[in-house]
Amino acid sequence: MVSSLILCALMSCLTFFFCVVMGNFAPTSIIYAVFLIFIFTRMTFAERKRIGSGVIYRRIFQTVFAVGFCIAFISDLYAERGSMAITSEAMNNSELPFCHIAIPQVLLPFLITKSIIFPARISGAYAAAASMICIWLAVTLTVGRGWCSWICFYGGWEEGFSHVAKKRRLNLLPKNKEMREIHFGFFLFIILASICQLSCIYCEWFCPFKLTTEYFPMNSIPTLLAGVMFIGLFLGLVVVLPILTKRRTQCSTLCPFGAFASLTDRISLFRMKIDTDKCKGCLKCASACPFGAIDITTIQEKKGHPELNCAKCGECMNACPEKAISYEFRFNMKKEKCGCGRKEPKTAFGRVLREISEPAQLFRFAAFTFGMIMSSGFVDRSMKIVFDAIKGAF
Amino acid sequence: MILEAILLGLSTGTYCTMYCAPVLIPFLFGCEKTGHKRNAALTGAFLGGRLAMYFILGAAFAGMELLVHEYMNPVLARKLSVYAYIFCGLSLLFNSLGVKFPWGCKDGCHSPKLRRIGNDWVTAVVTGLSVGLHVCPPLWTAILRSVFGGNGISGFFYFLFFYVGTLPFFIPLLGIPFVAKKLPVIKRVSRVTQFCLSLYFLVCLGLLPFFFG
Repeated sequence: MVSSLILCALMSCLTFFFCVVMGNFAPTSIIYAVFLIFIFTRMTFAERKRIGSGVIYRRIFQTVFAVGFCIAFISDLYAERGSMAITSEAMNNSELPFCHIAIPQVLLPFLITKSIIFPARISGAYAAAASMICIWLAVTLTVGRGWCSWICFYGGWEEGFSHVAKKRRLNLLPKNKEMREIHFGFFLFIILASICQLSCIYCEWFCPFKLTTEYFPMNSIPTLLAGVMFIGLFLGLVVVLPILTKRRTQCSTLCPFGAFASLTDRISLFRMKIDTDKCKGCLKCASACPFGAIDITTIQEKKGHPELNCAKCGECMNACPEKAISYEFRFNMKKEKCGCGRKEPKTAFGRVLREISEPAQLFRFAAFTFGMIMSSGFVDRSMKIVFDAIKGAF
Repeated sequence: MILEAILLGLSTGTYCTMYCAPVLIPFLFGCEKTGHKRNAALTGAFLGGRLAMYFILGAAFAGMELLVHEYMNPVLARKLSVYAYIFCGLSLLFNSLGVKFPWGCKDGCHSPKLRRIGNDWVTAVVTGLSVGLHVCPPLWTAILRSVFGGNGISGFFYFLFFYVGTLPFFIPLLGIPFVAKKLPVIKRVSRVTQFCLSLYFLVCLGLLPFFFG
């Protein structure tokens, strides 16, 4: 109880600083800060009651973040350019906002040519390449691919759509392995094609979120075809398939950043652990996983952890009736097997400290902090835009 | 002269890598048999095809009297690149459908009719020939130097040594069988990559610019 209170107080301080102070004490920033503190508190205390039950608050947070980001970003584009279409002036001046999905595409060409192939600002205002890469590095070292399920401002769309239907209409569980192969195969294709063309191929041809951000003006047949591709991919992979499969299909088959984050996740602090002694093999975790990271063979072969593409969303913890799945420090995975290195604290202070330093608590705290910092500016502004629009309407 | 040719190749070999690596990496990783000798021979066939196309291009440019200009006509270079992508994309697609289809078919053969035309050796040579159609600035420089640098034989050797200078960038490809053995899943992943890449080359970089500029 005390440990949860301490974490909530700490999060409140951080939220106050990053949302309220950075937002110049605007009413919308205060409202958003209260919302964030409420979400984190509810999540922390729900997890105390029943392991995994806090995932619903993560879903709400990520969906709100995605919608808020979209509103704020589009209004920024309209204010700056008068439309969502990329202008040749913005291209020539390298003023396109740099998003994290472009990171894996620019890294190898950067090593070869010593220049960023995306027409973005290198430093300075928000969404500059350098700041985005720094944020990505910090997130990779701490929460790893947790980025996709906690911090990604696009993922919330799929998160929301995948919980629209009550029942799953299409079961992709037996196809998990094939989907992973497609994901990594497509990732390798994007990397190689980006090297070959020295441009971000995914952004030019395959990004479904062009529909919610910015796109090339459709004034020729190739750009028209690209537009059709964006719309098709958005409707197919972000709307229809998540509703039918209750999964994040774009994130688990197409997103190059997702595949890249899966590979770099090995250097992160946390990972999911499946207690093979407790596990009864019911496969509820496998069907609950929105990223297809738990196969039938993962459970049957008693691997003890999900597959490479786990995004640490915690849905499997919520689904497991035996509570056999938990967050664990990566460096502790081997130690846990021998049962050594864990001593029961004797004092109350020691117990509180032990509770706070539980991997699950620390992971949620770190992931939520990053999400809060990333989301604060966008959601705050989007609320202001919505309130202004409502005020204008009346 | 020889040293200059080798240094020119060494200093500009990244151009070759940028055009060749996207074709060779998924192609070699996706092969059913991944022995060291076969891998080296396929790489050799690809590089041989590329060298042969350079000689054909050199002769054709000389015949068309294009070599009197210091710079390559960019429109012609772009047209050649479009053809390169069409042929390369088709060849990789035939190979994908005939021998290396990633999903649900025995021995990777999705269309038995394409099995012969899309076999690994034909693909290595055809893709090598088509990648050779990309006329990059270093290649143009090498062609000019070899033509105007002296008599015919020394020019031939100048170009040959320029080509040799670019080859060290391909040495890492010899490690592919080792990686494929350690990481068996990479074969299927590479086949998916090759399939995507063939469609991308054919449609986005080949047919669309061909028809719509």
